[in-house]
Amino acid sequence: MSKLFNIKEDRSLFPEKNEHGKIDIDLSSHKYLKMWHGPQHPGITGNMSLEITLLGDEVMDCETHVGYLHRGFEKLMERRKYIQCFPIVCRVSVPEPDFNEYCFAAAMEELAGIEIPETAKWLRTLVLEMARLASYLMWIGGQAGAFGQGIIGQWTNYLRDSMLDRFEELTGGRVYHMYIIPGGVRGLLPAGFKQRMEENLKFIEQMMQDVDKVMFNNAVFKKRSVDMGIIEKDWIYKFGITGPNARAAGIPLDVRKDNPYLAYPELDFETITASHSDIYNRADLRRKDLLLSIDLIRQIMAKMPDGGEIRAETPNVLHWKVPKGETYSKAECTRGEYGYYMVADGTEYPRRINVRGPSYTHAVSLLEKMIINCNLADIAGLMVSLHTYPPEIER
Amino acid sequence: MGKINDILSPFTAWKHLIREPLTIKKPLEREGADRYRGFHKNEIDKCIGCGTCEDICQNAAIDLVPVEGIETKHGDSGLRPKIDYGRCCWCALCVDICTTNSLSMSNEFTWIDEDADNFLFVPGADAKPWDNSEKGWKKPNYNLYNPNRVEMNELHPEERDKSFIEIVQGYSKGQALAEADRCVECGICTATCPAQMGIPEYIKAIRNDNLEEGLRILYDTNPLPEICGRICTHKCETVCSVGHQGDPISIRWLKRYIADQNPSEKFKKILGTDTIEQNGKKVAIIGSGPSGLSAAHYLALMGYSCTIFEKLPLAGGMMRYGIPEYRLPYDQIDKDINYILSLGVEIKYNTTIGKDITLEQLNKDYDAVFAGTGLHLGRSTKIPGSDNKNVYFATDLLREISLGNEIPIENKIVVIGGGNVALDITRSMARLQNQKYGKVNIITTSLESEDIMPADREEIIEGREEQAQIIPGWGPIEIEIENDKVKGLHVVKCLSVFDEDGRFNPKFDENIKNFFEADMIVESIGQGMDLSYLSVSIKENLEMDNRGRIIVNKHFQSSIEWLFLGGDIIQGPDVIHGIANGHKAAIGIDNYINNKK
Amino acid sequence: MKEIINKIEKLYPISDFKQQNDKTALLTVEQDKAVDLLIYMQKFEGFKHLAILTAVDWIENNQFQLSYIINNPELKMDLILRVFIDREKAEMTSIHNLWEQAATYQRELKEMFGINFPNSPRVDKPFILEGWDGLPPYRRDFDTKKYSEDTYFPREGRTKNNPVEYMKQKLYPDE
Ligand SMILES: Cc1cc2nc3c(=O)[nH]c(=O)nc-3n(C[C@H](O)[C@H](O)[C@H](O)COP(=O)(O)OP(=O)(O)OC[C@H]3O[C@@H](n4cnc5c(N)ncnc54)[C@H](O)[C@@H]3O)c2cc1C
Ligand code: SF4
Ligand code: SF4
Repeated sequence: MSKLFNIKEDRSLFPEKNEHGKIDIDLSSHKYLKMWHGPQHPGITGNMSLEITLLGDEVMDCETHVGYLHRGFEKLMERRKYIQCFPIVCRVSVPEPDFNEYCFAAAMEELAGIEIPETAKWLRTLVLEMARLASYLMWIGGQAGAFGQGIIGQWTNYLRDSMLDRFEELTGGRVYHMYIIPGGVRGLLPAGFKQRMEENLKFIEQMMQDVDKVMFNNAVFKKRSVDMGIIEKDWIYKFGITGPNARAAGIPLDVRKDNPYLAYPELDFETITASHSDIYNRADLRRKDLLLSIDLIRQIMAKMPDGGEIRAETPNVLHWKVPKGETYSKAECTRGEYGYYMVADGTEYPRRINVRGPSYTHAVSLLEKMIINCNLADIAGLMVSLHTYPPEIER
Repeated sequence: MGKINDILSPFTAWKHLIREPLTIKKPLEREGADRYRGFHKNEIDKCIGCGTCEDICQNAAIDLVPVEGIETKHGDSGLRPKIDYGRCCWCALCVDICTTNSLSMSNEFTWIDEDADNFLFVPGADAKPWDNSEKGWKKPNYNLYNPNRVEMNELHPEERDKSFIEIVQGYSKGQALAEADRCVECGICTATCPAQMGIPEYIKAIRNDNLEEGLRILYDTNPLPEICGRICTHKCETVCSVGHQGDPISIRWLKRYIADQNPSEKFKKILGTDTIEQNGKKVAIIGSGPSGLSAAHYLALMGYSCTIFEKLPLAGGMMRYGIPEYRLPYDQIDKDINYILSLGVEIKYNTTIGKDITLEQLNKDYDAVFAGTGLHLGRSTKIPGSDNKNVYFATDLLREISLGNEIPIENKIVVIGGGNVALDITRSMARLQNQKYGKVNIITTSLESEDIMPADREEIIEGREEQAQIIPGWGPIEIEIENDKVKGLHVVKCLSVFDEDGRFNPKFDENIKNFFEADMIVESIGQGMDLSYLSVSIKENLEMDNRGRIIVNKHFQSSIEWLFLGGDIIQGPDVIHGIANGHKAAIGIDNYINNKK
Repeated sequence: MKEIINKIEKLYPISDFKQQNDKTALLTVEQDKAVDLLIYMQKFEGFKHLAILTAVDWIENNQFQLSYIINNPELKMDLILRVFIDREKAEMTSIHNLWEQAATYQRELKEMFGINFPNSPRVDKPFILEGWDGLPPYRRDFDTKKYSEDTYFPREGRTKNNPVEYMKQKLYPDE
């Protein structure tokens, strides 16, 4: 039966390339069709669009277009006092804003020579793992949805919402938490938090078993994802690929392990890798990473101090001058290496802040390469499997 | 048989068909979490309209607006924050930084309205359903600025109780920077400073380590910064917004820091007063107290040639002859005054107007006259025995100490009075007793009970540290005299000092009596003015109110248009008012002289 | 890290080395040898990963700083390599041959800072700002406030009051 669906042709030979390795697309030949995929396409992860050239239903050429979300965050921050950047940074990445908050605060604290209290360290770690869990839960629905399995999205979005409930009671916000404030965090765990969290985690684990049965042990899903959208091992460094996209190809890049920050040195975990980075394996790796997050949250809740100071003493935030210097702070988000490059010139305003979102590399040069010879119907699935968030590209 | 399983396994999804739905049935009724950052609330009476919330809001969502029923008064701008929810991003930084802790957020997040303009309102003033909700975001248990004052280094009691060395040592650079950092730059203090000094601006200059700029800002409104940086009554600090949830900024010490750090020889260069164009007009000034000096300074800057006539051998008025040296060292007075003299101001010492020269003569020789002659006559309790020669006035003794003259120091001293002057004489006499006898035996007693004693709290504490006994709440009734010698003071319990209308009208309980032994008594219950230099004809033309006080306009000009008056004889009660009066009078004199020609 | 620096010190015109923290170091290299150094670091010193390529506008020195943040996954070390280039002749050798994603970074730098990278793929094609013909907006002399004031309009019904001014008006208007 499997033979029936398998067309083992080397598609990369089509269409023929010229001596520069490029195809000559002559639109007037009426062989090709140019079309926009996005920015409103449901399979597009956020507001970006692909300008694709099709031959039949096969992509011959593609260009990523961004700019629909450009608010010039990096530039805006140069006009704002450091504390005023704090409510901005989370907006760079909607589904996991906390990594922005952490990287921004960490860079600033490093330059200003501020050590955050122990409790704040653990709470930050907790929030980052919660963000990872929430982001994966949202992503998993997207991945399934892109291949027509709407039900998974319904389940996992509910699960994500249960995580947002915990965010809400801890941070005061559901989506943008504005919790990791320079100097520490903004609140201790509310009473009964751990217990409610544990209930959520149990439910998520239980539902993930169903997701496993319905999504992963699913002939259709496998058919469409196995051996699709392969990331070769030797592309990893060439394209700046990080996170699960790299780990699935067997390169164990994980900032949590490589440059352990916050409470990670005290947590017990192994970086999860796979050996063949196709859509299926990447999805499976993220599923395992999601379960790892659950485990980490449990470890954190068990080990963290119960009370204590949550914010270090800092200068008056209204005129906090960060000493001249520059640094790069990074963390592992669901999509890979998240980093803030901060340049301070000794004034009350940052001189330059540059955000490295993983999507920046994944959604442009990598996607544009991988999408060639992809079937039109698979584009959404391929994109989601790279797990990209457009605001990071244009910041 | 994985393949078959892959086809069957997804069907397990069907089991969810019979499960209870998880969705919230009535989403609008869902309550936000306890900490939720929903619509703002503001305790409108607690808020002081400092605008710190507006400053931190990176979305420019907050405007300060006048609100009906809220008066502008000292310490309250009368404005309140209005929030534009088209811009607010719910970060709650405004809540976290609110200086009074009046601002918070409710956990209400659902509000449906068709008119977008309704989402622009003044929390606390425009009533909203969530105003009384307990839940929502409140300022967490941390501070975005330091609410605690940087400690000032001071001499310990044992290091100071025998000498007149300055007690307060001044801030180091690190301390000054840390203290200046606490300021939120709201500027509420400016209105309360009698001279309306640019306080947030000079504090900012400290933060930027630009002390020359700081000095220029000081001199815009105050030509006696070394003095005020030490002994100003610092009313500004009583309204400091940071004081609502912590200690107010040490505005006075920061002013002193700027003045101390700039060397006197550089003042003229920094202040750009190396050369001043003269306008050929002359102004006479009577008295070299703060009001006279301030008038002279600002007139000199405008090009007037100023001559100050001073009764005493040195300049400074009460600043030199009243305030004790341990609070205000003479070299600091000299630093301020010498700079003013360097602008070409001349002082004729030991010259009493009304005796050596008449006021009429000054009018003839000068284009205008300013008088700031202060309050130098002691007031007596007039109780039996108060006419004894061992009963003194505080101001007379303080003047003699400053003049370097020997004063009588007895074994047991009682001071009557509860104000700062009483404490000054108490602490001065304590030092002298300590020098002479190696011990202190001085009792200071006031009508007022401790909580309403007019003296500054620190003065009372420090006086006690220096072993003075301060016993408030007693009314003096008689000084016991035996063989023309003072034996002590009879007092009765004072129940209240002011009546319901707030008028001075003390009530006593004659049955509760006390006796303080003494062989010397000092009265310090206020001073009166000596206006004998105003001749009868001048007095006749001078408009006065029904309490006999000279009436002046906003430029401190009397009804005799060439005569301007200020300082303690008009307003008082402190140096900074004198400075402000002198400054305004200088502007008035300039106007007057310009209009004359 | 120090060892590597000792080695490359002899080969390249570098300066201002600083170990910022246990995982990040800073280094400045002269413009004309910068790409050589990057190649060397990538090929021989294991700095295989390019995390960031961005710029800082030091308008007061008439310079752009290009910052290449490269990472050695074995040493687990980030190196921020700084190159100062003339702001007037803002041009730099492209490194898209070393790292594919650099083309995207360079395209953005061209658009946002006006720094040219000749021969970098699509470097002149608008990336984020289609239809923009003003000053490259990430330059310091582009005033975002002024731009937004010129382009947008304030919301009606909003007025501002400064507490100091307002109190003066109310409490001591004549002074
Ligand atoms: C003991 C004491 C402590 C004080 N402590 C403080 C304090 O800590 N902080 C504070 O802000 N204020 C303090 N004050 C109040 C402050 O000193 C006065 O408010 C201020 O000095 C008044 O200034 P003035 O210009 O009105 O007059 P004065 O300072 O009183 O000066 C008047 C001058 O005029 C001279 N004069 C008077 N008549 C004639 C005449 N006919 N001819 C020529 N010259 C004449 C006098 O000799 C004197 O030099 C204190 C006062 C006293 C008495
Ligand atoms: S910071 Fe607080 S006290 Fe000041 S204006 Fe705002 S709400 Fe009122
Ligand atoms: S919550 Fe944040 S955005 Fe909203 S008014 Fe307060 S400071 Fe401004």
